[in-house]
Amino acid sequence: MGMLIILFLANYLSFTTARSIVSTFQGYQEMETLNQEGIYIANLDPDSQPDFDKIKIDDTQKVYEYLNNNYTYALQVDGFVTSLYNEYEMEVSFNYINEEAYKINQFGLSQGNHLNFNYKFNKEEIPVLVGAGLATTYPVGSTIEITDPATQQLVNLKVEGVLKENTYRSNFYAPNSKNYFNFSIFLPVNKNFIQSASLDLHVNGLMDIALLNSTKEKAMNLNDHIQENLGLEFNFFNQQENFNYFEDYYFYSLTIICTITLILLIVIVCLAIWNTLVSIRLMIKDFTINLLVGLSYSKLRVIFYSYFGVLFSITLAILFAITAFDRYSFWLNKDSIFATYGIFGLISMDWIALLIVLFIDLIIGFAIVELTIRKIKSIPISMGVLQ
Amino acid sequence: MNSIIKLKIRKKTFKKKGFSILNDFELEVEPGEKLSIIGESGVGKTSLLNIIGLLDTQYQGSYKLFDTSVKDLSRNKLAEWRNQKIGFVLQESALINSLTIEDNIKLPLMYANIEKDLTVQDRFKRIVTKIGIEPILKKKPLECSGGQRARAVFARAVIMNPQIILADEPTASLDSKNKEKIINLLFDMNKEFNTTVITVTHDLDVANRHERIITLERNE
Repeated sequence: MGMLIILFLANYLSFTTARSIVSTFQGYQEMETLNQEGIYIANLDPDSQPDFDKIKIDDTQKVYEYLNNNYTYALQVDGFVTSLYNEYEMEVSFNYINEEAYKINQFGLSQGNHLNFNYKFNKEEIPVLVGAGLATTYPVGSTIEITDPATQQLVNLKVEGVLKENTYRSNFYAPNSKNYFNFSIFLPVNKNFIQSASLDLHVNGLMDIALLNSTKEKAMNLNDHIQENLGLEFNFFNQQENFNYFEDYYFYSLTIICTITLILLIVIVCLAIWNTLVSIRLMIKDFTINLLVGLSYSKLRVIFYSYFGVLFSITLAILFAITAFDRYSFWLNKDSIFATYGIFGLISMDWIALLIVLFIDLIIGFAIVELTIRKIKSIPISMGVLQ
Repeated sequence: MNSIIKLKIRKKTFKKKGFSILNDFELEVEPGEKLSIIGESGVGKTSLLNIIGLLDTQYQGSYKLFDTSVKDLSRNKLAEWRNQKIGFVLQESALINSLTIEDNIKLPLMYANIEKDLTVQDRFKRIVTKIGIEPILKKKPLECSGGQRARAVFARAVIMNPQIILADEPTASLDSKNKEKIINLLFDMNKEFNTTVITVTHDLDVANRHERIITLERNE
């Protein structure tokens, strides 16, 4: 039992580290699409002290007017949650995206067509994409009548396409943190829509806005304009600054996590070897009897490999069950942002992490068995222990 | 007749303890011979059995068993020979307490991968019937008497029909009735299969019933 707990700790540690690395890598790949020359990503200055209560819709309209006239920008805002009937009884999240952001992200569809941004807001149906979880309730071609949370107007949405399962977006500044869009509605944002949108969408849209084909000077001009109208201080990070941020913060954190994991794994392996050797010393009489009647070190090696194979299989099965339950709990709790689809409940990053754990288990198993056998060979065997 | 054991030990050194035993010791044993080794505690009786029984190869000298130099044998081959050519008759406590008497006896068969062999199963039945331990086969060692355990140890030693039996104080802690039983079983094996019997004992009565007695003495 002690050995099982030790090995489970090793596996759990490897699994969480591996999954974090895979998720960060996925986030980094996303970030790279925005990490091009001429792109400046907005970030509210952490040292500024904004007073959001003072911001009025007229002020934000001025900022967006200035943006529309002088810049090409990518805008994507999510987190507008509403109640909309669906078979899973999940809350539905609206994701507002403009054409530039849509082009950059290149979301994959499982059905239907991509978004059309040339619609007339308030005069015709708004073409939307729905997440995979809404596809059966709202198939391609169906319409949804709803009060849009961003404009507070009754709108007719027409489902144009269905996003691929587990379409996600990573947080720019925490690449291993993701929102999944299985219960989201992607609504195309154009100039008319922005004019009708609420203050919330305007302000939230500015938080992660990305200026395309721009310069540091133009970004600073926008910052001045925003500060003048809204009193908000933004930093606009370019490609190099974003990369440096990643290098300085995430790469460093990942290196530390990996180093700590490696040290803990070595400690755990030593503990496992010590545990095995103590067991053998405690059972030296039984061990000697086995050697007397024909147990060879190569047979002992096979026994050890089988033993650790069984233990690792049990720990992997427990890890799988915990992860599957963890994923399933998002469905139970109706947590639409994290509800995901996967084989036996596990999504691709879980499977990749499990494969990495399996690989690490092979190395740990090999290290434990070979070092233990080496140690055992140095224990003198004598009939004297049976007297 | 050719000796099956040809042992020449220059010395066996215990580096940590800083002394050596069995200095310039020579031994030849013929097939079917009944040999007893006696001597005071610490002169190297058990160490000698460890060497003869292929448990210890760390000594200066040479050892030919069945005309094969033991030092040329791999660890796996040594284990195979311990399993198939040598039977160890030990004190009655030398059983694995977590296993039943039957499983203890069948342990060598398991390592030889022949536990399901019909002829082996037949031999198992004959042996346990002959030594009278059928009723205790499903019991754990601690549920049996000392005499029963001693017979179980004997059964395990002979289950592979070995050519050599090494007995290390086989009658220690047994009463005279059980002691007699074990000695008779050993000699019956010797008589029936021409098995070589080498017994280490403190008991002169037991030693005197062997054909040859070797007395080990402390090195100067």
